[in-house]
Amino acid sequence: MNNRILSLLSVMALSGSAAAEVAYELVPNFITPPPGKETIGNGHGEIGVDSAGKIYVSVQDKDAGIQVYGTDGKFIKALPLPPSLHGFVVRKDDGGEFIFAAVLGEQKVIKCDLEGKVLMTIPTTEFPADKVGKGLKLTNCDVAPNGDIYVVDGYGQSHIFVFSREGKFKAVFGGPGEPLKLANAHKIFIDRRFEPARVMICDRGHKRMLHTDLAGTFIGEIATEMRNPSSASFHGDLMCVAEIAGNVSVWDKENKRVADLGTSPKPTNTPGIEPKDWQQGIVTSPHGITFDNDGNILETEWNKWGRVLRWNVKK
Amino acid sequence: MTSSECPNDESPMHHALRSFVIRISTFVFLTHPLCALGHGAEFLSAKLTLRPDAEVLLEITADFGGNPLISDEAVAREALTDPVRLSAEGTLVALSDVAAPSISQHQNWAEFAPASYLPPDTEGQEHRLITAAWRWRSETPEIVFEVPKGKLHDVLLWTRDETRPDAPPRWMLLLAGDKSKAISVHWTPWWRRWQTVMASSFLVLALGYFVSRNFTLRQRTL
Repeated sequence: MNNRILSLLSVMALSGSAAAEVAYELVPNFITPPPGKETIGNGHGEIGVDSAGKIYVSVQDKDAGIQVYGTDGKFIKALPLPPSLHGFVVRKDDGGEFIFAAVLGEQKVIKCDLEGKVLMTIPTTEFPADKVGKGLKLTNCDVAPNGDIYVVDGYGQSHIFVFSREGKFKAVFGGPGEPLKLANAHKIFIDRRFEPARVMICDRGHKRMLHTDLAGTFIGEIATEMRNPSSASFHGDLMCVAEIAGNVSVWDKENKRVADLGTSPKPTNTPGIEPKDWQQGIVTSPHGITFDNDGNILETEWNKWGRVLRWNVKK
Repeated sequence: MTSSECPNDESPMHHALRSFVIRISTFVFLTHPLCALGHGAEFLSAKLTLRPDAEVLLEITADFGGNPLISDEAVAREALTDPVRLSAEGTLVALSDVAAPSISQHQNWAEFAPASYLPPDTEGQEHRLITAAWRWRSETPEIVFEVPKGKLHDVLLWTRDETRPDAPPRWMLLLAGDKSKAISVHWTPWWRRWQTVMASSFLVLALGYFVSRNFTLRQRTL
């Protein structure tokens, strides 16, 4: 613990030298919840931004689906989608812009347009039966440059499934066994900072992040001894990471930590911290994260009341 | 019900029964995924109870129904074999070296995790819990726990002081390599114990003296 605090302090000190390149400032109370609500609602999902800058937040309350906010943080509408969108991405693919989402409670993946109309479903039956086990617990998905859809069974066996753009099964890798030995691979992302693109895995159980190539071959660890990495996003050469045990970190392409934001004084991992106990700019349990198109960071938390924090990049 | 709704070789009663079973199965099948939303407790919950006279009770619970890191009962039992150690003067002491654990299975999360850490949607979620309990008398006024480096499971350590039942429990989440703050037990220093022994001995002697004196006086009077 002491070592972790010391390393965080060192990083914060060192970030002074890196501050010319990357520094952030909190935007207090950025999100305006839907009318009649004090908070956005039960948060256990993801946050994303489309090419127009609109912000999408998945909320687990009944009929909540994905809430859409403007660039100013004001609520616009809710998309009629399932309530258990644990992980999703907003991606341009095949001439359009779509939401690809893992529906944790229904063991399936959906692709929909930005109005929430479902265009394609990858049902449980499309997954290889010998990997379904006692039931899939799909936690996230992302899209490779060639249109392949990568899906992770993060609350299940941590297998990573690959489907074609049309939703046909192609391959599977990862899981608890050799060589990757994943444990609670909470979310995966296609890291397009590299050419060819890589798979970035939040191996939360082992408190590490790692890269594989698109075929699942191990490339290397990005970082270890983290506060349980849960989600990530990319902008330019940077990657921001939501660490559910109480931290948001920013990494460069050489896998150097260049900033820590909102660090909780003591580790936490709970949805039960009430709004009265929230502290301005201090995270509780970060669960989803995204850069917007200008490199600002938005983070959503695992929290029964729902919470979103924003840090703007200093220019 | 008309006969056309039943197969020829099935009575209406059998048909109704079969229909009922199918409906129940369908309901269970459809609702099961909702119950399996996962993301319960992704830690071992370590409930520490401080009792008078340096007695310590540590109950560590693993959930193999809602913890994605614990797939089944065998993994849960393995996780409980050496989840946290006592840190003493630079060395780590396994719990099995201070006491033998007692193991129990139950579904009562509420008693084994602090309220703010209870997994959400507990009404619809199945929890299968195993608790290992160690009980011992501390030989030091303070105890420190440490999760050894490389351990897969985080440990939520929450402390209840049995002598102050109204005080809110304190908790801390320990990741691998983390050490808890020093926790004070209700420890009685040796000199206090000696004081008690001496005072008790004095009282016994004094009582004995007065009894024997009264007895002697009564004998003389007779």
